[in-house]
Amino acid sequence: MSTIGQALTVEHLSKRFGKVHAVQDLSFSVEPGRVTGFLGPNGSGKTTTLRCMLGLVRPTSGAARIGGHVYRDLDHPGMIVGAALEASGFHPGRTARGHLRVISDALGLPKSRADEVLELVGLADSAGRKAGGFSLGMRQRLSLAAALVGDPGILILDEPANGLDPEGIAWLRGLLRGLAREGKTVLVSSHVLSEVQQTVDDVVIISRGSLVQSGTLADLAGNGAIRVRVRTPRRESLVAALQASSGGNPPTSVDPTGPDELLVTGLTPSDIGRRAFLAGVELHELAQQTNDLESLFLELTATGTPGGTA
Amino acid sequence: MIPLLRSELRKVTTTKVLFFLTLAVAFFTALNVFLLVYLTPRAMGVENNDELLMNPDYVTNIIGAAGSSSIFVLILGIVAMTGEFRHMTITSTLLVTPRRSRVLITKGIIFLIIGAVIGLIAFATAIALATLTLSGKAHAPIDTDIALQILGGVVLGFAIYAFVGVAVGALIRNQVAAVVGALIWVLILEALLTVFVDWIGKWLPGGALDAVLQATNVSGRGGSEVLSIGAGAAVLITYAVILGALASATTMRRDIT
Repeated sequence: MSTIGQALTVEHLSKRFGKVHAVQDLSFSVEPGRVTGFLGPNGSGKTTTLRCMLGLVRPTSGAARIGGHVYRDLDHPGMIVGAALEASGFHPGRTARGHLRVISDALGLPKSRADEVLELVGLADSAGRKAGGFSLGMRQRLSLAAALVGDPGILILDEPANGLDPEGIAWLRGLLRGLAREGKTVLVSSHVLSEVQQTVDDVVIISRGSLVQSGTLADLAGNGAIRVRVRTPRRESLVAALQASSGGNPPTSVDPTGPDELLVTGLTPSDIGRRAFLAGVELHELAQQTNDLESLFLELTATGTPGGTA
Repeated sequence: MIPLLRSELRKVTTTKVLFFLTLAVAFFTALNVFLLVYLTPRAMGVENNDELLMNPDYVTNIIGAAGSSSIFVLILGIVAMTGEFRHMTITSTLLVTPRRSRVLITKGIIFLIIGAVIGLIAFATAIALATLTLSGKAHAPIDTDIALQILGGVVLGFAIYAFVGVAVGALIRNQVAAVVGALIWVLILEALLTVFVDWIGKWLPGGALDAVLQATNVSGRGGSEVLSIGAGAAVLITYAVILGALASATTMRRDIT
């Protein structure tokens, strides 16, 4: 009974809480059949954006649409979108099974559905236990189970890997990949890229409420051009030599990082060495920077578009 | 609508608050029966209640103890509604039903039914204990008509009162504030207000409830006038609807963060 997902679109979404601009003119889209990572540091507006998508928070302007409709206008939203927002939305005295039956009842599904999804998230043994006594990892699994009750085509998960042990994270990865393979739309937020790096196809990166970058993970990796640190007593001459059009392609950027130091992006070390040699500039160090996605992510979100006051 | 009603009912049956408050209603009703049977004669300075038992009003008041625990039903409605915000289950509720007024209406309907059932339990407790304590003694007969009026009043009154509780809880989302506020209103403010402005009493929620429950207390409400049963019920429902509409326009529209 697997449902195929629809696209999610966020159009010029802004949300202000008092003086705080939580989200500012944010636009991106999320495609079915792929896992999309929604990334940004804590407090960057991820949760607010997700809550706007789900009709829980009213946008100040703009909209988030699900297959072209705002959430409130969906006929049976629980059968179209499943969301796990945070691990705290349980009555502490209600059992895991009871919590899920409240949802399956509202969706008009048979009672047995609760046990099916508990089985799916590995909580079958704790079905009769009260959610109040659950560990963070168990709460995450129960949240996920609640999102899956209606077998929706779209899944929106806020920091689902939080509190899961490495084994749990590996299991989650397999589950999400499987759901995307079935054609579902999967949007997963996280503040740590490395946590979802092996799971996601696409990324949407935000910082201070604004979009920094969106595209495929491969694009993001490609974007991380080579960066080389150069030390030279003749900094200005080297800059001139690198940017001289006679030498070939100009570097993407040349940033002075110290009195005798430069950070060059877009040229290989051999390229820089050759040009320095031709210009007769003495070099003391020529080192390629390790460029993993995580540091790129940190760099992107730290220098991202200046956002609001938040 | 049916799935949503079932879901709202499931919420109540999967936690303990309904059970404990129903137990409190039964216990409080029993306590009132015993007070009337054993303490009233002493308070009146008579040896025993042999003579009192021949007074049909006294017998009616014993069964009328069924209406004494209405406050618990009000609290039940408040706790159920504010609990959604306290435990943040409102998030999953609204994910399934994004139209918030629909959530409020369904919960209101379920608590009308639950209130009615608790009223039935209160009446059953009172009539059973009254029969038990009066057995073997000479007493004025229990008038079936009056007993049925008490039953009707308690079932109707408790049903609407639980519904009022839901509306209060929607308007005051903080559980402690809502419960304490309701208690202060019912136990102190309304009585005070009635002392100063006599005519207003019968139009206030407590006065309206007294009108619905009038069969339970033949000696009346300290001489104050009450509305007819129908008018009392209508006034009480109007309060619930106004509070609910006010909540829909204000607190229920807020962002859920």
